[in-house]
Amino acid sequence: MKLLRLAVAAVALLALDAAAAEAQQLQKISVGLLRLSSSGAVFIAREKGYFREQGLDADLKIMTAAQQVPVAVTSGDADFGVTGLTAGFFNLAGRGALKIVGAQSREEKGYQLNAYMVTNKAAEGGFNSLKDFAGKRLAVTTTGSTFHYSIGILAAKYGFDVKSVTLVPLQSLPNMAAAFKGGQVDATIAPVTVARQLEAEGAGRIIGWVGDETPWQLGALFTSPKAIAERRSTVEKFVRAYAKGAHDYHVAFNARDMTKPAGAQEVRGPGYDEAIGILAKALEQPAERVRVGLPYVDAEARLNVGDVYNQVAFWQSQALVDRTVDARAILDLSFVKGHFNVPR
Amino acid sequence: MSDTRDVPFRGGGFVVVPKRGAAVAAFVLLIALWEVSVRFGWISPIFLPSPGSIVQAFVELVSSGTLWKHIGQSLHRLAFGWSIGTLGGLALGFAIGVWSLSRAVGLPLVSALFPIPKIALLPLLILWLGIGESSKVATIALGVFFPTAIATFSAIDGVPRNLIRMGQSFNLPAADVLRKIVLPGALPGILAGFRITASIGLILLVSAEMIGAEYGIGAFILQAGNLMQTDQLLAGVVMLSVLGLLIGTGLTRLERWLLRWR
Repeated sequence: MKLLRLAVAAVALLALDAAAAEAQQLQKISVGLLRLSSSGAVFIAREKGYFREQGLDADLKIMTAAQQVPVAVTSGDADFGVTGLTAGFFNLAGRGALKIVGAQSREEKGYQLNAYMVTNKAAEGGFNSLKDFAGKRLAVTTTGSTFHYSIGILAAKYGFDVKSVTLVPLQSLPNMAAAFKGGQVDATIAPVTVARQLEAEGAGRIIGWVGDETPWQLGALFTSPKAIAERRSTVEKFVRAYAKGAHDYHVAFNARDMTKPAGAQEVRGPGYDEAIGILAKALEQPAERVRVGLPYVDAEARLNVGDVYNQVAFWQSQALVDRTVDARAILDLSFVKGHFNVPR
Repeated sequence: MSDTRDVPFRGGGFVVVPKRGAAVAAFVLLIALWEVSVRFGWISPIFLPSPGSIVQAFVELVSSGTLWKHIGQSLHRLAFGWSIGTLGGLALGFAIGVWSLSRAVGLPLVSALFPIPKIALLPLLILWLGIGESSKVATIALGVFFPTAIATFSAIDGVPRNLIRMGQSFNLPAADVLRKIVLPGALPGILAGFRITASIGLILLVSAEMIGAEYGIGAFILQAGNLMQTDQLLAGVVMLSVLGLLIGTGLTRLERWLLRWR
């Protein structure tokens, strides 16, 4: 009897030991990101153990504003970052603090992510087309934000001067919504959840979607040049796990039926329910809210490289990013195969 | 009995003696140390831009002509917001300090409303007042109003009761008691409140200019922060500091003049 107990204890100890050894073998890394479905690849890869497969123990550092993510990677608080690309990001990256290694989400035709909205008053005044932005007041979160770039490429598409649009920076989505509701601005570009809410309240109308008009590389996966130089294999492992998560995301969410007269219709792919469950848990939101506004995420984390070049050029033309910043120098295209639209 | 000895004067020290050069020397030393640490690479310029690059950012602002626009707009908002908040605060503070009924009503109101962060109210202020000047001025006025009210009634409470009683026993009319005893007696406390509210006004400038401001020191700081242009951000912060210093000096002058009877 005593012997048996001893044996059980010994086995238990051994098992404990093995678990401890495994935990020790796993390399600790941290990822800075926001609780948004555009970072879905990270949440899926973590939940499904893809980081563990690569021998990584990924610690998620949840931030509350896109601006904090590149700052956290610069300061060394996070090893990797995934978030939207802004003028502030390029200013930091241009000083040699960051390198883009893969893609996050994209604005893509058929994906309702950000809407152009006009107030009722502006619509009655004849502002009903995307060509009419010139001379109007547009509420944005901040100068240099993704919304600012969205109006920039819309201006290039329809041939109006982006400087003729009066940008009203209001620093936060609630402020932006309040100014829109109060008719203080003529238009805004709002994320789908905010846009649907504003429309439901009768504050204004959606006149188009950014993805349908001007597809662009909204977000990226990045790390520090130091990590690439000193721990290249870790970066490779991370990108591999991330791309596997992105692949699952792609299979579950990216399919669209473009044949319907009402426009693109969502098609639920294999693993849809599981992926929605993972995102709902990670975003701490009900599944119904996650279902609305799932962005396009490339299946292999491939970047629209030409658009990143274009972003840098646009910010420089607006004197918001330093002239010395070189898009080529802030990209490292060696971790993911098949980046597209690569300028020569 | 005749055991006497000399006692040296022990009352020295604890007296403020003006040391003119010390402050300047400390500033110069600190800035030089900062510049050197960045130059020699002890501190990365990404984390802390050198004083030189801040000056550079400043020079660019001056040469592009936007500096005066920023300062002008901010001073305008500050002047209006602070004046409105101060006048309101003085009125409420006096009412609370002098009449028991208004104290019974006003004191709990002030306690309840003062701790509300003004930034949390921004969406509401935008709905009520729009995104023009009025909501920016209101943000500053609201922030200044409550501390002024509190400083005022505390200062009135601090006026020695025996002086008031004396005035009353000499049969001074109530208006004279207020004008000749209460007001001068409360003035030092009220002016100390001004010092605090002037700084609060400067701090709130940044919040106020979150509301769709194109120009203004706060708007400039916010934009520089959003764009991660840390040298410009610090140039904006230096502007606020200098403004604070100037206003502080002005208040010292005002204090000296108003309190010359002391």
